[in-house]
Amino acid sequence: MALRHHHFLPEGVVFRANAPGSPVRSIGGPMKRLFSSIRDGNGFDIVLVAFPLGFLFLMAGLPLLYNILMSFQEVDMFSLGTFLRPFVGFKNYQELFAQPETWPILGNTAIFVIGSIAGQFLIGFGLALFFWVNFPGASWLRGLFLVSWVMPGLVVGAIWNWILSGDFGVLNFMLKETGIISGNIFWRSDPNYSLYAVIIANVWLGTAFNMILLSVGLASIPGDLYEAAELDGANAWQRFWTITLPMMRSTIGAIVSLGLIFTLQQFDLFAAITSGGPNNSSNVTQYWAWDLSFRQYDFAKGATISVIMIVFVMFASVVYVRSTRHEVRG
Amino acid sequence: MSDTNRNRLMLVIALVMAAIYLFPLYWMFITALKSGSEMFATPPSFWPSEPQWGTYAFVWESRGMGRYLWNSLIIAFGSVTLITVLGVGCAYVLARYRNVWVDIGLFLILMLQVLPASLMITPIFVGFSQLGMLNYPRLAVIIAIAAKSMPFFVVLVRATFMAVPQELEEAALVDGNSRVGAFFNIVLPLARNGILVSAILIFMQAFGEFVYSKSIIQAVELQPASVGLNSFMGPNTNEWNNIMAYATIYVTPILAIFVLLQRRIVSGLTSGAIK
Repeated sequence: MALRHHHFLPEGVVFRANAPGSPVRSIGGPMKRLFSSIRDGNGFDIVLVAFPLGFLFLMAGLPLLYNILMSFQEVDMFSLGTFLRPFVGFKNYQELFAQPETWPILGNTAIFVIGSIAGQFLIGFGLALFFWVNFPGASWLRGLFLVSWVMPGLVVGAIWNWILSGDFGVLNFMLKETGIISGNIFWRSDPNYSLYAVIIANVWLGTAFNMILLSVGLASIPGDLYEAAELDGANAWQRFWTITLPMMRSTIGAIVSLGLIFTLQQFDLFAAITSGGPNNSSNVTQYWAWDLSFRQYDFAKGATISVIMIVFVMFASVVYVRSTRHEVRG
Repeated sequence: MSDTNRNRLMLVIALVMAAIYLFPLYWMFITALKSGSEMFATPPSFWPSEPQWGTYAFVWESRGMGRYLWNSLIIAFGSVTLITVLGVGCAYVLARYRNVWVDIGLFLILMLQVLPASLMITPIFVGFSQLGMLNYPRLAVIIAIAAKSMPFFVVLVRATFMAVPQELEEAALVDGNSRVGAFFNIVLPLARNGILVSAILIFMQAFGEFVYSKSIIQAVELQPASVGLNSFMGPNTNEWNNIMAYATIYVTPILAIFVLLQRRIVSGLTSGAIK
């Protein structure tokens, strides 16, 4: 890989000098040289990279900075149109943490993240281990699970909203038939259950993605390790703990941090199932930030909570980047 | 137990698990076919006694689904086009070189990939309203989606370009191709499949996008199907058969694409996210 870049640094000149019919490069003014570099030199790479990075900087980088700026400003409907709003220091942050709902919502976010990741990962790992035993049709069936992940989040939310319905929901019916519960659970309107209603839907949505990535990790473990362990008399349980888990460490790290990233991005299910209610019992920061800005028109608060959460997400992504480092580095 | 019997047993267990996992989808299809009274029957029926096929036409008409889906298509095609035009070149350069600048660029791109849309919408909305972009709401949504999804696309397509042998491009250069020529005639055609699969993944995402559309597009006649579904589901709705019919119409094209291209989509996805 390190050699790659060498081949191209002399930049065509070496190749071209011997190539018949190629344009002579050194003649011409600066403009001409610029164009020829874009057509046939490093300029080509720079053009290819400059536009997308510029676009990303304008449309993702600047909003990020603007978000931080707004969290230190007083923003209302009248000052929306100007950049020069009154600067208020940390007032938004102080007010935010003085609000009674802030800590419960942060707590909900933690429960949502931990519950979702645990559910997705454990079920996903179980399924991945099962499908690891190769049988005809295994890979096709395994891929089929991924439909939960490609469906629009709003549709997933709508389906689960109906399944989790209190009086007529099919989940309550099944739980009653199997004797797990005796009375209907009002998943969406009971403050004790509303957050778990969204967690259930999110676990369903994310399990398949976890399973597919874990399958990739499992497939990359060399088979002779297991043969050797079997010869040494290790049973299946020991093989799992001494070979599978250690070999999967970087995959698991990547998947858990990806899970954290995706869980903190989950918005559609809240919009479709509980809208954060009742009484904020199922509200999480990423829904609350939107709710503050677009329902209560308190853009400064929305920006403030966004800044706090984005810092969090950045942490998660550093972990993710580190665990996929060998891939990133090519 | 012989191998064939073991395989059969495994297959049966796998089918049962798939059936359990995909039950919500089944429930959507079935509910859409139930009549208003059958839907609320206890115990619930797991097979519609009199399938109400008319519900689809009714929902399509009464909710104006044609317009919603058309808007979804515009937004999805617009985002995919913008992302592909910008992202392919970026992925190519990031796959071709290995130095500290590429590492920095990749790191920044991975960082951008993780920003939650619902947190980014506040500054994007305020910024767009200051720039007057809200007068072109669908274009604004397309741009916002492109900024959100392009990092993911770049990561996926970069993995594809890494698999194209460098020697082929070098040979093309020796043969007198310019860099531009080698890129378009040799490298792009070889990476075509990977780019296509990544574009389809982005398309499916953009087709179901909700946060940006909900926040930016105020006019009902410009809203996509996800926002339409959201406004269909009031807090105390009891039209679940109609809602499920809406969801079925909305999701079936995506499911069809997915089932047809499943193998490619899955392998494209895994090559990018983890290796």
